[in-house]
Amino acid sequence: MLKKIEWCPGCGNFGILKAFNTTVEKLSNSGIDRGRIVVVAGIGCHGKLPDYVELPSFHTIHGRVLPALTGIKLANPDLFPVGFSGDGDAMNEGLEHLLHSAKRNTDVTLFMHNNGVFGLTTGQFTATTPKGVRTRTTPYGNPEEPLNPSLIALVSGATFVARAFAGDMKQLSEIMFEAVMHKGFSFVEILQPCVSFNNTWDYYRKNVKKIKTPENFSDAVRISIDTLNTGIIYRTERETFEEAMMRTK
Amino acid sequence: MDLNICISGAAGDGVKEAGELCGRIFADLGYNVFIYQEYQSIIRGGHNASVVRISDKKIHSHRKYYELLICLEDYIYRMHSPYLRGDVIFDSKFSCEGIGIPMTEIVKEEHEPMIFRNAASIGALSAYFGIDFDTVEVMFRERFGEKAEDDIVIAGSAYEYYMKNYSPKMEIKRNGPGKKLVSGAVAVSEGMVNAGLEYYYAYPMTPASPVLHYLVRRKGVVAYQPESEISAISMTVGSAIAGKRSATGTSGGGFALMCESIGMAGIAEIPVLIIEAQRSGPSTGMATYSGQEDLEFVLHPSHGEFPLVVASPYSIEDGFRMAGELLNLAWKYQTPAILLTDKHLVESIETASIDENSVKKQDIAIIDRSEEIVKRYRITESGVSDYAVPPAIVKINSNEHDEFGLTTDDAEIRKKMHEKRMKKDKLIEREVSDSAYHLFFRGQECIVTWGSTFGAVYEVAEELGYRVAVIRYMRPFIPPKLRKAVVVESNYTGQLAKMLREKADIEVESILKWDGRPFTPEELRERLG
Repeated sequence: MLKKIEWCPGCGNFGILKAFNTTVEKLSNSGIDRGRIVVVAGIGCHGKLPDYVELPSFHTIHGRVLPALTGIKLANPDLFPVGFSGDGDAMNEGLEHLLHSAKRNTDVTLFMHNNGVFGLTTGQFTATTPKGVRTRTTPYGNPEEPLNPSLIALVSGATFVARAFAGDMKQLSEIMFEAVMHKGFSFVEILQPCVSFNNTWDYYRKNVKKIKTPENFSDAVRISIDTLNTGIIYRTERETFEEAMMRTK
Repeated sequence: MDLNICISGAAGDGVKEAGELCGRIFADLGYNVFIYQEYQSIIRGGHNASVVRISDKKIHSHRKYYELLICLEDYIYRMHSPYLRGDVIFDSKFSCEGIGIPMTEIVKEEHEPMIFRNAASIGALSAYFGIDFDTVEVMFRERFGEKAEDDIVIAGSAYEYYMKNYSPKMEIKRNGPGKKLVSGAVAVSEGMVNAGLEYYYAYPMTPASPVLHYLVRRKGVVAYQPESEISAISMTVGSAIAGKRSATGTSGGGFALMCESIGMAGIAEIPVLIIEAQRSGPSTGMATYSGQEDLEFVLHPSHGEFPLVVASPYSIEDGFRMAGELLNLAWKYQTPAILLTDKHLVESIETASIDENSVKKQDIAIIDRSEEIVKRYRITESGVSDYAVPPAIVKINSNEHDEFGLTTDDAEIRKKMHEKRMKKDKLIEREVSDSAYHLFFRGQECIVTWGSTFGAVYEVAEELGYRVAVIRYMRPFIPPKLRKAVVVESNYTGQLAKMLREKADIEVESILKWDGRPFTPEELRERLG
């Protein structure tokens, strides 16, 4: 271990890290050396992850994971840039980067830890906090409806969209592997409890459902709307951003 | 010989192009040319002017008064007549005292859109100067290739009309071999390319956009317009992390959005070059007008302390040199560098003599494979560590970090790591000390200036008996040794003057201007005289 893990005991991040390590191993076995998997993370509890993996990494500033991944991939198409973001990091600050990365189909992967709260800054509401929930900055209940990250990625043009649960490592690592291997923009929303500020372990364990990947886009939209549906929601292929850019060079 | 021609019309009249074409004719004939473009942030209508200065001497400036005004609209004539010290050639669709040419009729006869009046004005002015029509034809063919025919026909009709009804006022003869026109934007772009630029990311913002417009078509460079300036600089950082020389460019407002990322590049020790082309501020200000108001801002763009290079080129030729210098410096010392320029330099065009050999890529050693985590941030005596890129296992971090790039808040490590980074400032200072400023002429008193303002200063200083020090590097700041100086710059508060007073104890007298229009030699002569 490179560094002592600083997450709270029982944090959903442990499952995500473990699933990712399994994925890296699987990628290595498929001929993708560790050095080619470049991890970029933003600010938040998820942002500690680069310190816990023996891979090239970049811990950037809040909300800017996706443009960094894009710059890396365009400069060296041989690499597999893999991003980690929180809901604050992808849905609050820097949301525009998700829309545009999906739209341009840049060949990178984003794992979005969705715990519905700002954990590291001690419990404020985020763009995915449900309406009415009391947090440190919404003492009378969140006045806003939450965003649905998978639906946003899907309608913005992501060519691989999945939702997974941090408590189901088998499903999560399978999805992670598929996402990294997918040619084009991959978005994976990971439902993740925050034991300190939004403990949803019991709720998710009881309620998450597994879906079969639907045949077409409109079914995918319908499935993504139910935020408890997990699995690969959509998968398609079209020209990547890097292919389009390099065609003229 | 020294001429100052103004071509003016509404936005959409092709005035900017006409200025360039006029400049090309004289450059082809071996004259020195400087073209100043003044335009409003309007696509159609409004007012545009292209001032073309021609001289047998080396020039870096237009002049205030014109020997010839070419006018395509009557309301525009009224705006320019106070500056006219010679003839006017106008479209005789309106009445005016001077040389009327039926430009609208000529264009209508050829069934071309009205923008072709710019070709008619080129024909008329060539006749006015007694330039052989062959020269005009060759110029059009060089510029537009097979599409030149329509322009040639229309320019030819205007040329003939002039010759039938008026007589040439001059007989312009060849002044040596033809010269090449270069814009500031192209010079800066090519300077970066010479120093190894491979990736350029920028969001449209006047007056930095011409760099992006040029680079998207330049072979060998991948240039892209992402969703925002924040994205642009983040992509620039990403490509540098992958080991490729990258840059971004913007103006003040976009630069403000990039600030957080500049500090990040500082602590993460990622080389990025940022072009900041100033315009009149604050805020949206006057989008298409020049200024030198951002110096103090750009010197301290981000929170915390980190090594940073800020420098400003003083001519189009220097723009080429400096863009290369800064990209090389950024990589050598693994830290951000800012090229601070302005609308007047980036969008002006000159017969600049670019010395291709003056900028070469200075390679640095890059580790690109490793079994274990690389000590990317090794504490070294100089402060510079080995640069490493994936697939080497390299950890880049915006948090304070140890030598491996792992996050830390350990007091001892922080102390050493911060000191290591800051040490690079001294090395940079040593490296640029010889090119921190350039000196011109001899004289008792000294004018100090920076950026495009140098153009007008250069022209009047010698005749008025001043020597000139033009500051290139603002950070590190190595001022010339002076007791007194007259400081000329385009802002209200005298930002460079303040630095000279506070950091070099120089007694300064400021000559300032903040109306968005660059200094002209005439104005400076009045204010210095």
